[in-house]
Order: sequence, then C-alpha cells, then structure tokens
Amino acid sequence: MKKLIAVLLLVVLALAGCAGAAPDTDKSKKAILVVSFGTSYADTREATIDATEAAFAKAYPDYDIKRAFTSQIIIDILEERDGMEIDNMQEALDRLKSEKYSEVVVQPTLVMNGAEYDEMIAAVHEVEESFDKIVVGKALLTSHNDYEVVLEALKGQIGELADDEAVIYMGHGTHHFADAAYGAMDVRFKNAGLKNVYMGTVEGYPLFEDITPHLEANGINKVTLIPFMLVAGDHASNDMAGDEDDAWKVMLKQQGYAVETHMQGLGELEAIQQLFIEHAEAAMHGEEH
Amino acid sequence: MRNIKFKTLAWSSVLVLLILFVGRYWIERGLDHVDFLDTREYVIDFTDDSGRRVKMEAPADRIISLYSAHTENLFTLELDAQIIGVGTSESYPVEFLDKPIFDYKSDPEKVIAANPDLVLIRPFIERKQPAFVDALRQSGITVVSFYPQSQEDFDRYIMNLGLVTGRSKMAERKLKKFHEDMDALKELTKDIEPKINVFFESSDVELKTVTPDSVAARAIEYAGGINIATDAEAITAGSSVAAYGAERVLEKADQIDAYVTQRGVMGAGGNLHTISIRPGFNTIKAVQNEKVLEINQKIISSPTFRQVKGTYELARFFYPEIIDDVSKFNVEEPLNRVDAAELFVRFDNRPVFAPTASYYRKEYDGHTYGMFEDVPSSYERFDFVETAMKSGFMQGFKRRDENDDLIEFFNIEGHLTRDEFAKTLFLFYDLVPAKEHIEIVDLEDSDNQKIVQALVDHKILQLEDGKFNPNRVVTGAEVVTALENTK
Repeated sequence: MKKLIAVLLLVVLALAGCAGAAPDTDKSKKAILVVSFGTSYADTREATIDATEAAFAKAYPDYDIKRAFTSQIIIDILEERDGMEIDNMQEALDRLKSEKYSEVVVQPTLVMNGAEYDEMIAAVHEVEESFDKIVVGKALLTSHNDYEVVLEALKGQIGELADDEAVIYMGHGTHHFADAAYGAMDVRFKNAGLKNVYMGTVEGYPLFEDITPHLEANGINKVTLIPFMLVAGDHASNDMAGDEDDAWKVMLKQQGYAVETHMQGLGELEAIQQLFIEHAEAAMHGEEH
Repeated sequence: MRNIKFKTLAWSSVLVLLILFVGRYWIERGLDHVDFLDTREYVIDFTDDSGRRVKMEAPADRIISLYSAHTENLFTLELDAQIIGVGTSESYPVEFLDKPIFDYKSDPEKVIAANPDLVLIRPFIERKQPAFVDALRQSGITVVSFYPQSQEDFDRYIMNLGLVTGRSKMAERKLKKFHEDMDALKELTKDIEPKINVFFESSDVELKTVTPDSVAARAIEYAGGINIATDAEAITAGSSVAAYGAERVLEKADQIDAYVTQRGVMGAGGNLHTISIRPGFNTIKAVQNEKVLEINQKIISSPTFRQVKGTYELARFFYPEIIDDVSKFNVEEPLNRVDAAELFVRFDNRPVFAPTASYYRKEYDGHTYGMFEDVPSSYERFDFVETAMKSGFMQGFKRRDENDDLIEFFNIEGHLTRDEFAKTLFLFYDLVPAKEHIEIVDLEDSDNQKIVQALVDHKILQLEDGKFNPNRVVTGAEVVTALENTK
C-alpha cells in the first residue's frame, strides 16, 4: 500500500512537472522573425530589408512579420539618429515570448551560415522552451540548389559580357569556415561559363588581389562592381565604389580598367527574397530546430 | 578624583577622534594641500578646468596624456621626449604610435606603475571615472584637467599647458604663429563677395549645431562664411554644442548655400548620404547642389593648433574657384612631385584627409598616413601630399634601411613623369577602351601600358614622334591644360 501511494505520488508530481513545463502561449499567434545584419542607409534598407520582409508578409498572411538586426552598432545608430527602435536577436525573442507567440519561424537574411548564424542558433536555444514550436531557416547559400538559384538571379545583373568585360562581386567575407561559400559561388560562375565573373570579399577569401591577376590574364578592359551583400550600404559605398585609394573602384582604375558600379543589394532581387521564403518554408516543414 | 580623570580622558579621546575624522581628507593626502602647513616653494600654482588648485614645484618631465587634443598639443610644444604615455583615441601626429597606451576605463595601477609626474585629463574623464582619477591623486601623481570651452579660452589653455610642462616660451611662440595664420585666413576671405550662408551640423542626434563662440563658429567666420545658426544656444552652460533641430534648419532651407557636417566620433553629424535622405532635406539649397562637406571633428572642433587647417578647409570648400585656383602652377617649368600633389588636390577640390581614431587600428598594404620619412607632419604641404596619396593621385616609394626595416618616402625633390601623370589623369576620366589602338613605339617602357594606350587612343595625351616618352618630366602648364580638358 505504501509503495502504491509512493508511485501515485510520483505520477502526480511528474504530471504536475509536465504541466509546469508547457509554455504559456496563445495558440493562435504565429510569427516569422526576419533577422538581418542591418544598415544605417535608409534608402537601401527600404529596397532590400523592408522589401524582403514585405515579401514574407505577402507569402504568409497568417503570420506576423517581426524584425531583428544582429548589428548592435547599427541598432544604436538608428535609435540615436533616427529614433528608430529595432530589436536585437535577444530582445526580439523576449518580445515574442512576452507576447505569448506559440509558433515562431526565425529566418535570417544572412549570406552564409557563419558566426552570426551560430550566435542566432545559440540565442534560440536559450528560449526554445518558451514556445510550442520554434524553427530556424538557413542562410542564403546553404544547399547546392541555393547556389544555382542565386546564380540564376545574378545573371540578370550580369547581363551580356563582351570578351574584355568582367563583373566582380564584393562579398563581406568572414574568419568563420563558412567563408568557403564565396569560393564555391565563384566556381559556380566559372562552371556556368561566366569565366569573367568573379567573387571577391572585403575580409575573407578570395580577396581583391586574388582576382586582379585573372583580369590581366584574360585581357579585361572594363569591370563592373556589384555588392554581394543583402544591402548596398556602407561597404558598397566606401570599400567598393568610394573615391579613396583603398576602394576597389580606385584600385582598378589605377590599373587601367574602365570601372562601373552597380549599387544594388541582393535583397532587391525578387528571386533572392523568394529563396529566403523557401528556406523559411523548409524550416516550417521538417528542418525543425 | 578618579571619575574626573576618566571623564577628561574620555572627552579628550573623543575630541582627538573628532579632529582626526574632520581632518582625514588632508591627512590622507599627507597634509600636502593644507596651505599653512605647506612650506614648499611652488613655481606652478593655478586652478585647473575641474576647479582644482594645481601646485607643482617644477614642470613635469614624465607626462601621460589621456585626451587626444592634449597629446597633439604636447607634440606641437615639442615634448615628444617627455610624453611617456597616451590615451586610446589618439590619431595625430603619427609619433604617438611609439608611445604606450593608457586607458582611463581600466586599472589606474597601470598608470601609477609607469611613474608619471603629470597625468593630463579633461573634466569629462573626472566626471565619468572619478575613482580612477582619485586613485592617481592618492598615489601622489599630479593630475591636471584641461578643457577650453570656447575659442577665446584656447590661449589660456595652451599657456597653462606650457606652464605645467616648462614650455611657456614655446607656447607663446606657437600661439603667436597660430593667430598670425588665422588672421591671414581672415584677410584672405574678407573681400570675397558675395559671402555664402552656412549651416554647421555638430551632431545628427536631434540635429545640433555649435554655439556662436565655439571654435567651429569662428572657423566659419574666418573662412568667409556666414553662420545661419547664430541664434543657437548651448545645450548646457559652457558647452560649445547647441541644440537646433531639423525644423529650424528647414525654415532656412533656401538660404543655406553650404552645409558642413563634422564626422569622426560617435554622435557626430550625418554623412552626405544620410543628410540627403532625411525627410524634407532635399529642399535645402546646399543639398540640392551637393554642396555638403564632411569634415573630421579633430580639425574643426578640437582645441588644437589644427584649427587653422580646419578653417582653411572650410575656405577651400566655400570658395573653391578662389582658394583652390591652380593658375599658379600653369608655368613652363618641370612640375615637382609636391607641387603635383597640391595641384591635383586643389584641382579636384578634394577635402584634406585627416585620420580618425580608428585609422591606425588597421594595417595598410600601400601607404600609411604620416609615415613618409621626408614628409613630416610639420611640413608645410603635408596635407596635400597625404591627401594626394589617399585619393590615389600620387604613389610613394619604399626602401629598406640598415636594420632591414621598410621605410616609406615620397621623394619630394623628384619631378612628375609623363607616365606617373597618365596614371593620375586616368582617374579623372571614365574611359571606355577604344576599339582601334594607335601604335605607341615605346609603350613597353611604361609601367601603366593600359592607361597610356587608352589616353593616347582617346587623344587625351599626344604622342611625340610616335613615342609616349613615359620618363619625360612634365611641366606645370602641360598638367594644368590636361586637367582643364577633363571638365
């Protein structure tokens, strides 16, 4: 009898424990949290981040679309300068929790699954008990198919190139091993027959100086520079198209190339917006975090 | 009897304790600051900008400066050998790189261990990190706080800096030269008509400007501009920052001929892009005409001798046709490299480059600002050389010294060759490669074959008997004519 009471007691306690662990949510509330690095350049933000979020809103009318930036510096600038309040990752998750969201899809607009992606995953881990379902979509360049889709999207920017014309994309680059995505993208260009389209990075690999010998060898006279970043912001304006001696435009001109710049962020391309939506969709249906 | 003795003893003890308690401040400081007990002779005795009395028996010989403007001014007073440490926000002159760095946000023990006899701070540091400053004072180090609030206060500040460092005569001489240079600028712009109206943005947070008695406001006046925000009032008493607001700026939108925004620190003004996209700002005349100048805060608002440079920059920006007139270079004489640097920067009306605190945190493959051994920061045309380099208009050289260290030099005595000039000229054009090439007999002698071919194909530079002659020295007249043709 004593044993039976003890077992019953344990069962009751266990049930009580389970009941306590169930998140306090409103089952009707669903959100997609679009996570971007952010930019302090308002016009490009509108054309890229805002446009991507709008595409999500259109694709998922049942979900509330929320925003987070990963760059605290940009969040601080926007708050101080423009009075804009934008959540960082932690604040956004806390807000979703306090607003009792039941299902959350976190979709980054990052180019590759690098350090910021890792930090995002860690932040989600911390709060996953607070939601009935929380999943995380992958960055832009993840699967083989992603590279193909991105390649097709970029072909519109690249257009028809004469034999002496080249396009150089400027990616950000990272110390993280995900930096290999840039080299992989460059191989896609070459395998697609775009032998004079190059992928370069500001601080990863390949660097600017890894590309210029190929321009020389391939008899290039004219180069178009395009950012390979979600937004055409500070890096595109200064490091790529700036007027100082370390801007790619000036360095190319010093080597005798005619240079054009195309200030369009990846986020402006509809196909790229759709790819992020597909990644969110995949996360909703299986790649549950 | 016994009771009385005990009572007396008890009261005496209480009294002694009370005296010790009241006098603990002076006791802690070794009675140094009790004037009537202090019989030492002080050659330096004044009140600093935090309101503390400073007494020193002799000028300082081992100085740590924790504010970039003090550091810069110490170098100007030729105190390189006496500076044993600098702060974390330094950017000029380049010699600061050889000094150990100290941070007022970290452990004061590091400063104390360096054994300075003077630590220079500003009131801001005293307010933000009082414990740090107290720890230095308690260890016996003289801590002096300086910050001139207005342009009129600059002389007093420099003289006090000279006083505590034993450089009073030097401070006097430098100030004399400073005022002569400023007066010369005022003279240069005084007859220019019509004068242009200027708005100065000191911070884009709630859109602030500067007070009429600030360093920047004087710079506008001496540069020949009319400050449209003379009605601005200081955000706090004594501050040079003044609240203004976007609405008041927009009320004067059609009067603002030139817009100046100071950059380089957090909370500074906006950049060209952000100013142009603010709601309503496209109605500002200066924004419509792209007459917006970004200027480094260090040369326009900071209390250093570089105010002269900042003021001159404004004059160049306000009146480019007059101040940056390049006709003096239009002579049939070989153009030397320094003249070439000045000519290119003036022709392009390119603002001079001044590094921010983050500049030296990166390494540069090419040239690093201030590193030319033959172009020290004291050199009269230092800014033109550095800006021509930063703009890619000129190239420098490198050699190994006896220790195998890489030394940068500009070769100020050298002349500009045709080949070098071709490279600069190409930057001023957006040339599409020609379909047909003109044959250049000596093209192989050029280091910039692609560029030379393009300029010759487009008939921008002419061949001389079928040759380009890349090593021929160009004349000033040749260069000015070629540049004028780019317009």
